Amino acid sequence: MSHPLEELRDNALREIESAHDEKALDNIRVRYLGRSGSISAWGEQMKTLGKDEKPIVGKLLNEVRNALTAAIEERAQKFRVQKESDTLATIDISLPGTPNEIGSLHPLHQMHERGIQIFRRMGFALAEGPDVETEWYCFDALNTPPDHPARNEQDTFYLSDGRLLRTHTSTVQIRAMECAPPPLRVIASGAAYRRDEVDATHSAQFHQIEGLYVDENVSVADLKGELEFFLRELFGFETEVQFRPHYFPFTEPSLEVYVRSKALKRGEHWIEVAGCGMVHPAVFEAVNKARGDKAYDPDKWSGYAFGLGMDRLAMILFDIPDIRLFAQNDLRFLKQFA
Amino acid sequence: MKFSVNWLREFVDLPKNPEEIAELLTRAGIETEKIETRGAKIDKVIVSEITASSRHPNADRLTVCEVDDGSSTKRQIVCGATNYKVGDKVLLALPGAKLPNGTEIRNSKLRGVESEGMLCSPIEIGLGEDASGLLILSPDAKIGAPIGDLFPADTILDVEITPNRGDLLSHFGLAREIAALSGKKLKSMPPKVEMEIKRSGVTIAATRECPFFSARKIDKVKVGPSPQWLRAKIESVGIRSINNIVDISNFVMLEFGQPTHAFDADKLKDGINVRLAQDGEKFLALDGKTYSLTPENLVIADEERAVGIGGVMGGEETGVTDSTKNILLEAAYFLPTSIRRTARNLSLSSDASYRFERGVDPDMILRASHRATELMREIAGGTPAKEIYVAGKLPANPADVSLSYEKCDRVIGVAIKPKTVDEILTRFGLKKTKSTSKGGTWKIPSYRRDLQRDVDLIEEVVRAYGIDRIPGTTRGRFMSMSSADRSHDLETLFLRERLAGCGLSEVRTSKLISKSASAFSEGAIELRNPLSEDHVALRPNLISGLLAVLERNIRAGAERVAIFELGRVFVPPDGNEERRLGILLSGNLATAPIWRSDRKVGDSWLGFFDAKGIIESLGIPELSFRRIEHEKLPLAVGLFSDAVMIGFLGQRPSAKIAPGVFIAELNLDVLLAKEQQTKKFREIERFPVITRDIAMFVPEKISHEDVLQTIKNPIEPLLDSVEVFDCYPGTKGSEERTSLAYRLTYRDKNRTLTNEEVTVAHAKIRERLRRDLGAELRE
Repeated sequence: MSHPLEELRDNALREIESAHDEKALDNIRVRYLGRSGSISAWGEQMKTLGKDEKPIVGKLLNEVRNALTAAIEERAQKFRVQKESDTLATIDISLPGTPNEIGSLHPLHQMHERGIQIFRRMGFALAEGPDVETEWYCFDALNTPPDHPARNEQDTFYLSDGRLLRTHTSTVQIRAMECAPPPLRVIASGAAYRRDEVDATHSAQFHQIEGLYVDENVSVADLKGELEFFLRELFGFETEVQFRPHYFPFTEPSLEVYVRSKALKRGEHWIEVAGCGMVHPAVFEAVNKARGDKAYDPDKWSGYAFGLGMDRLAMILFDIPDIRLFAQNDLRFLKQFA
Repeated sequence: MKFSVNWLREFVDLPKNPEEIAELLTRAGIETEKIETRGAKIDKVIVSEITASSRHPNADRLTVCEVDDGSSTKRQIVCGATNYKVGDKVLLALPGAKLPNGTEIRNSKLRGVESEGMLCSPIEIGLGEDASGLLILSPDAKIGAPIGDLFPADTILDVEITPNRGDLLSHFGLAREIAALSGKKLKSMPPKVEMEIKRSGVTIAATRECPFFSARKIDKVKVGPSPQWLRAKIESVGIRSINNIVDISNFVMLEFGQPTHAFDADKLKDGINVRLAQDGEKFLALDGKTYSLTPENLVIADEERAVGIGGVMGGEETGVTDSTKNILLEAAYFLPTSIRRTARNLSLSSDASYRFERGVDPDMILRASHRATELMREIAGGTPAKEIYVAGKLPANPADVSLSYEKCDRVIGVAIKPKTVDEILTRFGLKKTKSTSKGGTWKIPSYRRDLQRDVDLIEEVVRAYGIDRIPGTTRGRFMSMSSADRSHDLETLFLRERLAGCGLSEVRTSKLISKSASAFSEGAIELRNPLSEDHVALRPNLISGLLAVLERNIRAGAERVAIFELGRVFVPPDGNEERRLGILLSGNLATAPIWRSDRKVGDSWLGFFDAKGIIESLGIPELSFRRIEHEKLPLAVGLFSDAVMIGFLGQRPSAKIAPGVFIAELNLDVLLAKEQQTKKFREIERFPVITRDIAMFVPEKISHEDVLQTIKNPIEPLLDSVEVFDCYPGTKGSEERTSLAYRLTYRDKNRTLTNEEVTVAHAKIRERLRRDLGAELRE
């Protein structure tokens, strides 16, 4: 035969189990565990029990109280979880997330950065030079003396003091060689200027990455292989690269570089992306003269140089139809490249 | 330059397909930019003669012509052109003719008058862009002949000749190059000169600028229109027909590359002298303009005056006209740099100067003179003198060039057989004068003055061998980080990324600005020769560009403009180049509205403290802000790093366009020059902190900085950090005061603090605030 307390416990547990809401559960709690509840009444009754019975009933009473408290808590937790998930079920998760203000980097910068990262993997360090240059750096040192037919002064912006805005970043070749003896493997990224009518593919200010590698036995084959590597890294492995002989006063032989790739829009045509060639011995001689030594002895050192048109590359890569978009800085344009 | 494929074929066999010719040239560095087909093979378009013309009875702008088409009956044609006269030969499209533009010609009535065909303008039959009137044919065109006889089908190549290859500026020259590239033989050569050379009649005073001059007298010429074949030939490559004499001169230039000039000999006073112009000497050129010359310019002169600017343009007064009877034909060699300087100084260039400044072939001068003379005899019925007057001497042949096979292989990067190298150079007209096992010495042909060094010969080898046959190789070289690498990394990997992380978009504005760019651009360095009003000066700062971008975007409807630019500016007056960072904030705090009720913020505009916060996040060492005066900014703050002012932050005067515009510009060179400190680990605090708040009213003139200094000095060792968390302006009675609240954090890195010791320290600080600042502390 069970003790009445046990009977009370079993009844209470059944009631707790069947309580259907928080309020019913609270009623049960008050009825059993409240100040005037059944368990409290038993506590009072304890005082009347004999010495033998007291510890046994006391222990039992404790067990029952703990069991009920735990059962009520467990049941209450269930109700709380239920209530929370009911609330969460009403949230309209289709509302937009709280916006974060994300900035963006200019697509031309991104293009330069892509180029620089590839060239850095190829072992090039960076070099730089000013935008405002002298005729010596822009023309004379680059084997383009005055009255040379390739010296196109009408396409050059001049300042009133006779200095000019560099018409190509090849000026940095001279500056880099002036500062450091060979071997030299550098790139320079920057702006150049052309006094030319502005349209969808021409702007007065354009951007180049210039490259120069001077070492022992640098060859046309090296120039070809390394630019091919660069262009395939940039445009993808399937990119076809074509070199065509050309003329620049400061390289000999001189070449123009074209790419073609099905992966690009309008990519079925050859697109000109760079001019390059083997550094002309006269350029080394001019550098030596400026340095006052024979560091760049054309019989000992050879080198290649190239200039990549970055505006053109960015237009190809990002499929941008008009060069003027770069300088307009419409946020609706810039944010597309965030 | 434009080349006629038919004309080229007179000198060398060519592939049938023009695309193939273009490809051959392009792959050898002679870029073919355009291929056009010319000439016309249109059925039922024939030569006719206008025999009568009368006004259209019902239309002012039309005429009614009677034309002879070679059949027995005359045709009546209604015509809208006005550039003809009766007796002109013109092209007639007969009924049934289909023109290239799709028009089909039928008998029709125009304003009530019958028209049995159409008289054609050049554009209508695909012979150029001219739509202004009828194409008037040469008088010797045969009536009834089909158009194809007059304008045989031809392909015109538009070829870019690089400045080093003056020898390619003629049909013979390009044919010679094609022959070399394709290994074919030339079919014909310029004629040998057979005439008596007489060293008199001309003198050269300026022998440096004009080493050689020749003049041939041709008497009793009949000046008139050119025969059809001559006209067609020069017109096919874009030269306008003038008269037979001028056309012959142009023809010979296009054929052999040597410009010649025909003077009206009766207008010359005695002998020719080639001299430098006098300072200020005036000269009326064939283009109808008067030029003021300097001693830099070379002139061809007679006893009295200049009659030509040497190598550039002849004179108006001595030019060939319809009444010219006797000709003096000039053929000379001019110093290329002198011609170029003159053409540039006078802004006057011509087909002749274009060739002289690139260097003509000395060996071709007398041949061209001879060729032109013969043509003038044949076409204009002239009687050439049996002798030619010459002065000076032809420039020496180019110096021989040595080439070693080893150097050739080294520069190209592949081994090419010596035999192949020799074959290629021989094809280009070079002759081996000395041969060794290692290489040889080569005689350069007179027309290849661009071949001066061994690398020039190597380039010829590359062009003919084929760049495609050189497999690419790669190599490398380890380079130390340069200062340019360091500044690039700081600019890009740190500053740009952080600014984009702050929600700013990078812009790139032009470094060339317009004069009216902005009030901030005074003193900007101006270009001496700007091209358009948009690009007249070098930007002295970034702010003007950023303000223009703001304006553009506001007009485009942007509600939030948060932008930055990193780039060079040109500081007046010397144009020193400085790297700067410019920042501009304006408009909404957020691009999208925040719908959450629990996140509503009081101030939804970008403001001064947003800009300040961005600058504070850039890791500028020892950054501080001090108010400064700025005439254009109602609020201006100097930015200092280690007590050096590196820039400013300010607010623009309010304008209609935007609620508030905050701009900052700082010099990055100062930051880039600083050694970058590698960050070092600091132990993470293990013991808990105790925080205490202080709320107070302070007089309005007391700044946050005053409060901060009072809290921090003298140093309370347990005080770890202080943060302001509330700031509210208000009044008490007539007194303006500010309500401020600060959170003070106490910490000891070695132990847990007790409440008591914090209370003691905190009380000292509270007392200082009360005593030193007159703060009214709130409990």
